[in-house]
Amino acid sequence: MAEAEFDAIVVGSGMSGGMSAKELCERGLKVLVLERGPEIVPERDYTDLLAPWESDHLDNVSQDEINERYYKQYGGVAYAIKESTKHFWVRDDEHPYEEAEGTSYDWLRGYHTAGRSIMWSRQTYRLGPQDFTANLEEGVGVDWPVRYEDIVPWYEKVETFVGVSGSEEGLDQLPDSVFQPAFELTDAEKSFKQKIEKTFDGRSVIPARIAHLTDATKEQLSLGRSNCQARNRCHHGCTFKAYFSSLNATLPAAKRSGNLTMVHNAIVRGLEYDTSTKRVSGVRVVDAETMEARTYTSRVVFLNASAIASAMILLQSKSESFPKGLANRSDQVGRNLMDHVSSAGVAGIMTGFEDQTVFGRRPSGGIYIPRYANITEKNKPFKRGFGFQGGARPLGNSSGQIAGIGKDFKEAHKRPGPWRFNVLAFGEQLPNPENRVTLHASRKDRWGNPVPVFNVSYGENERIMQREAVKDAQAMMEAAGCINITTSSANLSKPGNRIHEMGTARMGRDPATSVLNGWAQAHDVPNLFVTDGAFMTSSACQNPSLTYMAFSARAANYAADLISEGIF
Amino acid sequence: MTTRREFVKGLIISVGGASALSACGDAATIIATATEEGGQFYSSDEMALVSRISDLIIPRTETPGALDANVPGYLDALMSDWASAETQNYHREALKLISGQLDARSGEFLTASEPEAIAALSELDREAFEGGNNLDGYRSFKGYITQSYFATELGATEELKWVAVPGVWDPSVKIATGN
Repeated sequence: MAEAEFDAIVVGSGMSGGMSAKELCERGLKVLVLERGPEIVPERDYTDLLAPWESDHLDNVSQDEINERYYKQYGGVAYAIKESTKHFWVRDDEHPYEEAEGTSYDWLRGYHTAGRSIMWSRQTYRLGPQDFTANLEEGVGVDWPVRYEDIVPWYEKVETFVGVSGSEEGLDQLPDSVFQPAFELTDAEKSFKQKIEKTFDGRSVIPARIAHLTDATKEQLSLGRSNCQARNRCHHGCTFKAYFSSLNATLPAAKRSGNLTMVHNAIVRGLEYDTSTKRVSGVRVVDAETMEARTYTSRVVFLNASAIASAMILLQSKSESFPKGLANRSDQVGRNLMDHVSSAGVAGIMTGFEDQTVFGRRPSGGIYIPRYANITEKNKPFKRGFGFQGGARPLGNSSGQIAGIGKDFKEAHKRPGPWRFNVLAFGEQLPNPENRVTLHASRKDRWGNPVPVFNVSYGENERIMQREAVKDAQAMMEAAGCINITTSSANLSKPGNRIHEMGTARMGRDPATSVLNGWAQAHDVPNLFVTDGAFMTSSACQNPSLTYMAFSARAANYAADLISEGIF
Repeated sequence: MTTRREFVKGLIISVGGASALSACGDAATIIATATEEGGQFYSSDEMALVSRISDLIIPRTETPGALDANVPGYLDALMSDWASAETQNYHREALKLISGQLDARSGEFLTASEPEAIAALSELDREAFEGGNNLDGYRSFKGYITQSYFATELGATEELKWVAVPGVWDPSVKIATGN
């Protein structure tokens, strides 16, 4: 076999791919990162420095353009798709997918350097010990081949590098991270916290934990990052590099090692499998612009293309050895597709704070209510649980939806207006092998790859859980003294809409029922690792990016160990 | 009866009277031009109505008003370049309804005296926010006016004191009552 061109190929440059590349590069390995989209250059493509008046039409994308190009993306995340940010989202007319009859799915994403780590909402939480044992204890899905203690050192390493603002709370189910100072709660949030913790034994209200620098370390400063400036322009990129993204942190760290090669517009068609070595021997790509086909070779391959895209790459890589797709002897690739589930948001007005306002625009977050269901409060009529995200802020009147005209109306906008408190539950979705993504039998995209077909529905557990979550939220609003409590439409969020898709190449102990072992290494193909959301054996209810990065760092160092031992 | 052209002249005089603001000349030019020629989307009659309502909802005070910030021009571009045909039709129908309602309350709204015009628009506004009627189009229009005003440099900086880089997050700032 010819000498491989690279030690490692990482497919995807987003949240997990950036971390895989950084760790592999810093171990002295020559790494190629393949990114299917174009390059994002911060100085050219970040739009966070635009003042509001520098965008036309309230920064809205024209309605005709939305209908023609962003019908799925805008339907899912209208709040994030503006004229000045639309270049961070895929065009649905160029990247179509299908949904099984009677189902619908939101596949919300961006194809470019750093992927969705540029547009994420930056909430950052560890999984807890209970999340790694729940499947075993309840007989759901398969057991995680890893326990919380195994991943703790990797959480610590990743958090120290990433920068997470938060407060030490000592909660067993939501372990503390390595923190930089939290964004302080507003007085209305402090009042809510005090009343909830007094009324509901075992519930906590804590500052949201978010990946924003508030006390940048020397290492972070050396990468050109600085503290958050409280502008809340994060969906436009961040010139201060204050929030974590691959482009703001991991990719620059990988690059300065001198070991990184990055190729853009490289769409993977499939992985080549060598039957004699029983390993992946090459990555076949097509250039997105020129349609030129190329094959790259390496000792190890990391798939970090996202849970859905990595599963599709495996399914596309059929051979005599793997007729159902590479590393898919278990037939679990593409199955157990999970997301988090929300339903109604609950909001209310908190009185007594009319004489105060805030200065600065807090980025993301506010409060977080860690999971208490089946933790501190037992015997719920559903399995697992949910956390609430929310917060209180002065409503202002900037959309003009108050009565009155003239001077009084105009000046009302300068006052904070009533303080509005809102909460939204993010619940765990149980793994179900029937919830899956498959390849369309005949329809292909413009690069010759099959389009995905989603067949995902929520089950009874998710429905009951969310019904109870809404009731709990209403009760907490009442306990906090809110008035005018309203509940938005109670339908469950569309699968995919929380943008936490995972589970399509699950870890497990048995090669017959899982795709990856506890190192996120394919049971069937030892030099293949999948460390994006695909490896998740269960979804927990916490926002998952931190966990993807911790497992990526752990797998990358394990692979580097194997290379240094001469195994690959 | 005052003609629309005379109304425009009167408005120019009233706007020009607030000479403390440097933008006043611009506002006068804007409304004179706009109402003579219409816009990309608005007819000249629609532009006159949009201008008059914008001025009454967000008048010049110690800070610039909707006309100083060229809100009518902003809305014209919004409707011309952003809105779909469906939204354009909805907005145009809403303006017709608003115009008819205001004329019914004030004789002819565009030539009514300032107190008459304010009385008519205040009444319509109150009814629209009480709900239970067909005035959603007015609320939507008022939302466009307000959002557009605060999206302009004058509205954002002079009225709202928008700060590009706050630098810090202060969750608890006391404000004096009535300020």
